[in-house]
Amino acid sequence: MTVSRFGVKLEEETLIRKVRRIPTQGEVYVGVGDLVDTETVIAGGTVRNPEAEEVKVFAKLGVEPKQTERYMLKKEGDPVAKDEVIAISRSFFDRFTKTCRSPMDGFIEVFLKNVGRVIVRGNPIPVEVRAHIPGRITEVIPREGALVETKGALVNGIFGVGGEARGELVFAVDQPREPLTTEVMRESHKGKTLVGGSVVTLDALRMAAEMGVSGIVTGGVDQKDLTDFLGHEIGLGLTGEERAGPVLIITEGFGVYPMRNETFHLLRSHEGERASINGTTQIRQRILRPEIVIPLKG
Amino acid sequence: MASEKESYLILDVNSHQTKAAFIERTGDEYVVKGTNETPTTEDPPELDVTIGVKEAVRGLGQKLGREFWINGRPSSAHRFLCSSSTSGGIYMNVAGLIRNISTESAQRAALGAGALLQDVFSYNDPQPRFKMIERMRRLKPEIFLLAGGTDGGAEIQVLSMAGLIEEADVKPRFGEGYKLPVVYAGNVDIRDEVSKVLPEDRYATRAVDNVRPLIETENLGPAREGIYDSYMEHVLVHSPGYDKLVEWVEGKIIPTQAAIGKILYAYAQERAVNLLAVDVGGATTDVYSVYDGVFNRSLNADIGLTYGIGNIMKEAGVENIIRWIPRDITERKVRNIVGNIMALQPRSLSDEERMVQQSAIREAIRLGLEQHRNYATRLKGVRLLRDLGMMFAQALEPSILNLKMTRVVIGRGSVFNDPENLAIAPLLLLDAIQPWGVTEIYVDVSSILPHTGMLLDINREAALQVMSKTCLRNLGTCIAAKGKAEEGIEALTVSMITSGGVSVEETLTYGELKTLPLGARESARIVASPTKKFDVGVGRGRSLETTFTGGEYGVIIDARGRPIEMPIRKEALSVWTDSLKPKTVVNKAKT
Repeated sequence: MTVSRFGVKLEEETLIRKVRRIPTQGEVYVGVGDLVDTETVIAGGTVRNPEAEEVKVFAKLGVEPKQTERYMLKKEGDPVAKDEVIAISRSFFDRFTKTCRSPMDGFIEVFLKNVGRVIVRGNPIPVEVRAHIPGRITEVIPREGALVETKGALVNGIFGVGGEARGELVFAVDQPREPLTTEVMRESHKGKTLVGGSVVTLDALRMAAEMGVSGIVTGGVDQKDLTDFLGHEIGLGLTGEERAGPVLIITEGFGVYPMRNETFHLLRSHEGERASINGTTQIRQRILRPEIVIPLKG
Repeated sequence: MASEKESYLILDVNSHQTKAAFIERTGDEYVVKGTNETPTTEDPPELDVTIGVKEAVRGLGQKLGREFWINGRPSSAHRFLCSSSTSGGIYMNVAGLIRNISTESAQRAALGAGALLQDVFSYNDPQPRFKMIERMRRLKPEIFLLAGGTDGGAEIQVLSMAGLIEEADVKPRFGEGYKLPVVYAGNVDIRDEVSKVLPEDRYATRAVDNVRPLIETENLGPAREGIYDSYMEHVLVHSPGYDKLVEWVEGKIIPTQAAIGKILYAYAQERAVNLLAVDVGGATTDVYSVYDGVFNRSLNADIGLTYGIGNIMKEAGVENIIRWIPRDITERKVRNIVGNIMALQPRSLSDEERMVQQSAIREAIRLGLEQHRNYATRLKGVRLLRDLGMMFAQALEPSILNLKMTRVVIGRGSVFNDPENLAIAPLLLLDAIQPWGVTEIYVDVSSILPHTGMLLDINREAALQVMSKTCLRNLGTCIAAKGKAEEGIEALTVSMITSGGVSVEETLTYGELKTLPLGARESARIVASPTKKFDVGVGRGRSLETTFTGGEYGVIIDARGRPIEMPIRKEALSVWTDSLKPKTVVNKAKT
């Protein structure tokens, strides 16, 4: 296979810029010139809760849909708790009282007068974005986030899974051709970014997930092992949302591939330093490769 | 000397390449004088599609020693046409009333116009309305097609669907500052009411004739034209540089896939044949068909040979990839190869990788065809009058796809540009599609099929001539028998007498694949006599007498039955590959 390694970089020192923004409008907590750490919260806000339920109020009350409005206790926008009464009909001196209760905590999003129904939506979900890399804020995106800039080493992988993670770079092997197996894993690897050699085995992936290893960087992984580990077929080359365990970045390809010497030695030269990694991969137009960023000290 | 109006400078702009072709009349023939390809410049840093257009046109001029670029635009001495597909198709949503009736017609109209369907909504959708609103809100289409109601028929329900679009406040792909183009192709009596539901300040609504004016009638042409118009006026003009390009071209810029569909339809009509064409690219697989004059297109948006190959394995299952590989190979190895083709986009492949890729091609086409079967259906909702004889007729099958009646099969797409894949193109197409009876097999390796589609409206003769002579590479004609038998049992005998008087006869046993030499310019009288368990399109055990021409692979006789049963021994797959060698010269004759 003659490989075109497009979109793949290996830089010992380069200027790295990261746009950090929330997927909604909210509040930005930093200003231009601020120095930030990897865990600094750049911006926060809330997003709409995808969970919603339609309630047939008229049916619960046993009234005509168009009459429902007169029995409503809550209006659009009102917060509701699970099982809270949102409409009530009384007749014969309260002997035949019927109620309609909220199916969840949330708020009345819509009241459809003509059809006597309401949509109850779950409470908004808070979101925030952290700096991910330490550096200086060079630009603020109003109500959404900011641009963080730093100098550091940058290594792109070929493929990755999982989103962002941060952790100390630790070597589990001595040579690029050595596999990353359960035998070379230690309790002390918890929360670290583990660098392997030619391949990571399925057992090692599972052990890493159990131990709470933050990330794994190796030359390769068997596609079948990765599928078994994730519990689903990868399909398209679009990843980043997986939450099966550690972030995994492969630098060479699927199968057993010793990590290229340049990559191995560049990472080795930063052993013990904190790395910010991101397994998100997009292979199509506007290609996005997974990356390992090691900010320069000082 | 050629008239200036009989020379055509035609462009197709896709997401990667801008390809220019110059077609001119020479004597009685229309000839492709040259082509030139440059990278498309719609994205940064150029952000102006006309930069790539200029490069393509000027480069073509240099190749031909002519000046095609004058005063900052294409020379007006030639007719200038253009098709475009910068994102794999027009991102469209479709809505109608009944899923199987108006929505299905609208879906066919959209796909025929080159759409990449994002989602489909119906009044009778089992999902509650608010869920549909949520689905709509997540998508940002370039165009929304709304249909529903026969003329003079349903009103409230159609207005309810228009209200749904309005309630969802669907945003156009180009951003919130733009109007969402809506093509309304439903009940003509309520056009004004639909326009009122979709306010002018947020929606650019265009009313066209109903896709289903009567329950028994489907009328897709006006909806397609409406989509082209909206595409030109509300989509293309927002893409960098297209405002200039639109002014230079004669007529409309239409989507590449629509241009391809137009020429394929015209070709099938001209020859009065049923046609099936598959277009396998890196990320998508398109299937086009014309059966009994009815055109259909379907798109498998994430099934392709590079970026989409992982999805082929996911959808088809790894075992279906392995079944076509002519040697023992582990699942692990196949999975790794597929993963690497997806992730690394290799420039060249090893033998083993090639075999995996070729298996994936077969499965991509098969998946594309399966999906196409659901689109290419007879009109639903129409009451069928049928007698006992018709109960068993193919015509009453829900799909109009009929592999017995497929006279022409065309393969195209980037996979056939690879010489190694091209070398076994007939086998790939036969394995994947499995037509039976008599089928002519072609591949298009010219990449100028969209150009001929653009030419069609202004010079039909030229377009069809270029398509036949330049685009289509005639690989041969196949006679395939349907049936099943024990291994080694005789399936059919084929005797052939060429126009030059050469006589050849071959007897095939079940599972065999052979070729007889017959060139593309030669014709032959063929008699195919199947044994009683086999059918070559005229009934079990009945002989077929016909005359046809050959091709690069001559006459292909396929006695593997239908559906093809995979051989137990893997070597048989290699035998099939070896059986199909190009044979253009009659070099041996049995008398």
